[in-house]
Amino acid sequence: MSRISVQTAESQKTGTFDLWLLGAALVLAGLGLVMVFSSSGVMAERLNGNRYYFFHRQGIFALVSLTLMTICAWMPRKVLHGPVYLWLFAIIGLLVLTMVPPFSVKAGGARRWMHLGPISLQPMELAKVVLVMYLAYFFSQKQKLVRSFSVGFLPPVVVTGFLGLILLLQPDFGGAVFLGMLFFLMSLVGGTRLTYLAVSMVFGVGAMGLLIASSPYRFKRWFAFLDPFKDPQNVGYQLVQSFYAFGSGGVTGAGFGAGKQKLFYLPEAHNDFIMAVLGEELGFIGVSIVFVCIGILLWRAFRVALAQDDLRDRFTAYGMGLVLGLGFLLNLAVVLGCVPPKGVAMPFLSYGGSNLLSCFLCVGILLNLSRSART
Amino acid sequence: MRKPSKESQQKSVRDWSRVKLTCVGIFLGLAWVALWSRAGYLQIVAGPQLAIQAERQHVASEIDKGSRGEIYDRTGRLLAKSVEIEGLFVRPKEIVDVDKTAAYLAKVLHMKEQRVKQKLQSSSNMVYLSWRVGDRTAAKIREAALPGVHFTKEFGRFYPNGHLASQLMGFVGVGDVGLEGLEKSFDVRLTGRQAKFVVQRDASGRRYFFDSQGRELADINGHDVRLTIDAQIQFFAEEELEKAVTTNNAKAGTCLVVHVPTGEILAMANYPFFNPNVGRGISPRVARNHAALDVFEPGSTMKPLLVAAALQERTVRPDSTFNCENGKFGLAGKVIKDTHSYGVLPVNQIVRVSSNIGAAKIGMQLGSARLHGYFEKLGFGRPTGLPISGEGKGLLRPVKAWSVLDLATASFGQGVAMTPVQMAQAFLILANDGVYKPLKLVADPDGPAPPRQPFRVFDADVARTVQRIMREVVHEEHGTGRVAQIPGLETGGKTGTAQKAGAGGGYGNKYLGSYVSFVPAIGPEYIVMVMVDEPEPSHYGGVVAAPAVRDVTLRMLSYLGRMPETVQLAKSPAASAAEMPAASVGPTKADKDILAIAASKSVTTRAIEVHSVPDFSGMPLRRVVEILAGKGIVPRLEGQGLVVSKQSPAPGAPWPGEKQSEFVLWLARPS
Repeated sequence: MSRISVQTAESQKTGTFDLWLLGAALVLAGLGLVMVFSSSGVMAERLNGNRYYFFHRQGIFALVSLTLMTICAWMPRKVLHGPVYLWLFAIIGLLVLTMVPPFSVKAGGARRWMHLGPISLQPMELAKVVLVMYLAYFFSQKQKLVRSFSVGFLPPVVVTGFLGLILLLQPDFGGAVFLGMLFFLMSLVGGTRLTYLAVSMVFGVGAMGLLIASSPYRFKRWFAFLDPFKDPQNVGYQLVQSFYAFGSGGVTGAGFGAGKQKLFYLPEAHNDFIMAVLGEELGFIGVSIVFVCIGILLWRAFRVALAQDDLRDRFTAYGMGLVLGLGFLLNLAVVLGCVPPKGVAMPFLSYGGSNLLSCFLCVGILLNLSRSART
Repeated sequence: MRKPSKESQQKSVRDWSRVKLTCVGIFLGLAWVALWSRAGYLQIVAGPQLAIQAERQHVASEIDKGSRGEIYDRTGRLLAKSVEIEGLFVRPKEIVDVDKTAAYLAKVLHMKEQRVKQKLQSSSNMVYLSWRVGDRTAAKIREAALPGVHFTKEFGRFYPNGHLASQLMGFVGVGDVGLEGLEKSFDVRLTGRQAKFVVQRDASGRRYFFDSQGRELADINGHDVRLTIDAQIQFFAEEELEKAVTTNNAKAGTCLVVHVPTGEILAMANYPFFNPNVGRGISPRVARNHAALDVFEPGSTMKPLLVAAALQERTVRPDSTFNCENGKFGLAGKVIKDTHSYGVLPVNQIVRVSSNIGAAKIGMQLGSARLHGYFEKLGFGRPTGLPISGEGKGLLRPVKAWSVLDLATASFGQGVAMTPVQMAQAFLILANDGVYKPLKLVADPDGPAPPRQPFRVFDADVARTVQRIMREVVHEEHGTGRVAQIPGLETGGKTGTAQKAGAGGGYGNKYLGSYVSFVPAIGPEYIVMVMVDEPEPSHYGGVVAAPAVRDVTLRMLSYLGRMPETVQLAKSPAASAAEMPAASVGPTKADKDILAIAASKSVTTRAIEVHSVPDFSGMPLRRVVEILAGKGIVPRLEGQGLVVSKQSPAPGAPWPGEKQSEFVLWLARPS
């Protein structure tokens, strides 16, 4: 019902774009644009004297991202899979550049950004997509060897580990955990021995535990989410403010633009905590719309993955679905106080070009793959 | 074989991967459901409680105080205004370094360090150091950023005209409370209200949305009061009163000016003055509005009222005569004296020469009951109802308590007492052709309903007769008020020289000289009244008070553009020159022009040299244009500026005729 027929030149397959997927993504991005305006207006007015500052920029990002998505969606599969290693080296290069002074930008105590002339990039966002493409390539090509340790397990571990290490150095703990989870879930489906995974998980969690336990403050911060009201002025502040926002919203919300938590109470109101602003202004109804869109997106992404006959296609689709899904769920878990806080942007909704770009890249690739899905 | 095996292997992996993929999908789906539920819990179940907590940080209630209303005179001149001042207080618990703070504050506030320190060490939460800190000092202290030192916004009262009408206005105490005078009686109206505002604030405490709009909506500012007083006339009254009191070595004095057609009080002056701007430390005695609060025995000023009552009751006729007993009249064991001895006098002359014996006889002929009845009608014994708190009601004993002697003395103003305001009220009835009209002091708001509705006390012809008798006091031979004569204008008046009752009850050698004047004499428009308390050595009302009344009248009429000589001349240019001290020769055409200008109501207009073109250079353009407009000339202007630098025709040249060349002014900027 929601499919249109598309003739592809390279194959005789009659592919159709998944319009559910596209629709959900567009609804989320549109909602995001509006919420970025609402949540950043007051702040932008104060900081830049232009209340539309973030809104305008996000609009431009959206146009660029949509263009890229369209290109990805129409791109021949061969080009799409392209030179994975080149992408990999490119992204490693970009990540390294965030640490190199002329390109490096320090913001909020972390070097997650790199500036190239007028363009600033957060390579981590793109790294997710590239990692998925690499892993999908690796697991599909090395299917026979995948169960061996040195050839089938070590290379992806090394690649992921290296990327994660750079992120930890930035420091971007959330990004590192995100890549770790991507790797874990990709390997799980890709066929890696469960024992390897279990052991590596133990190592990973152990290392994480050590890192957290090494500093009492970090420990306190990390577990503040369990009872943020115990110290609402300090470590629990972000979460308490987020709860206030959701609570104030109730069922119907305060109305668009009428939220108060964005008045500098919520840190990163237009960014990581944009869902709290949405919850306050549009209420549980608005939050539910987002959840429904997320549900549709994940359902269609997994559907596309399952419908792929080619392993690389399947893994790629699955990985793209994971990038989006993990992004959604981790961000929501953080703002709703279910997991320790870490800087994970809300796909489509949070302000930020790199985030929007990688999200639409995922959607574009999924749309492309959806054409070859078995129906 | 390899191929199929690879196929199958791939297939198995593929199928396994499908299962695993589905598992991951289900896992994500579960997380999705869980988070959705979590959102529902936060928003719907825990929502209301969280919303209340959030509200607490979003809004702050702030208490704001409106400014006190202003007081204006009848023309809108500002008489009293609220200004924001800053008070300084400390919260001792917040102070970090007591010694340093005390030393600094003592230095800038010019206080004793020991005292400041004592206050800083107080155990109370909040200690005021100063109610009024100058802006500069406040800025300095702010800069020092001492912890625990705070400012409050207070309103201070400022009276731009200094002591003008000071007793009438009263003053305001700490905390914006009217303590005396109109500030007290209109306190409720003037006081700014306190309002609690709910203010939206952000995380850094900045306020949003409300501010001024909210304030205006709440209408917390006090309301203004507009008086019937004319500040300019008040000023004349005060200056002349001061002169009268000081030149006669008197203790105090009062002056009242009333506009008869409306009953509006134009001036109410009390001497000595005080400066209400000094704030605290004003003694209530100095701030007392004697004109409305203090009673006195009026003395002979009572006589016109007595005569009016007797005429109204037909117990005397204007030509009735009384034997004035050559200055000594024994009655009930006492002797009533006149200053001069008179024989038989008609009623009008009794008033003119102010014979006490004559007045006593008129009173006795009228009888206690009727005289007392008229006193009541005239308002003695009851406040006039002016919005002045504690207004005196005078002293009028019940008629039953009156002896014959009481009746006789009451007839010439002894044994009864009233406030100057009551006296003005009584004369207002006489001036208003016999009809009671309440005095008015406040133009806005309309005060409470006057205590009495207008009613007729005297017939119009009776009132007119008395007005004529009062005219004689000023204008006829032996009149006691001849000093008050104003050339070109007929006024009426009555002097009063009351012996003041001593502390022991008897009458001593202290006097109250007073003079009441009707301007003009017949159908008066203004009542001007001056009382001089304890003048020495001269104490006759006609000497100590009448000149002040005359000068107040003159200056007031001049200010109102109604100078008698010009008014009269404008009416009849051929009026006898002898009556005009200003004009030594008969009016020429040019003089008539001056008079025409002077008679016009414009206050600023003054006579100019009219025979030839005056020298305008250096004069403001506005003024020059005014003068030329008076001549019907519209000048042509050259250059730019507000001051005339050159003119054509030249000064001294004859005025250009109607058809002659134009008048040119060259302008310059004032240097």
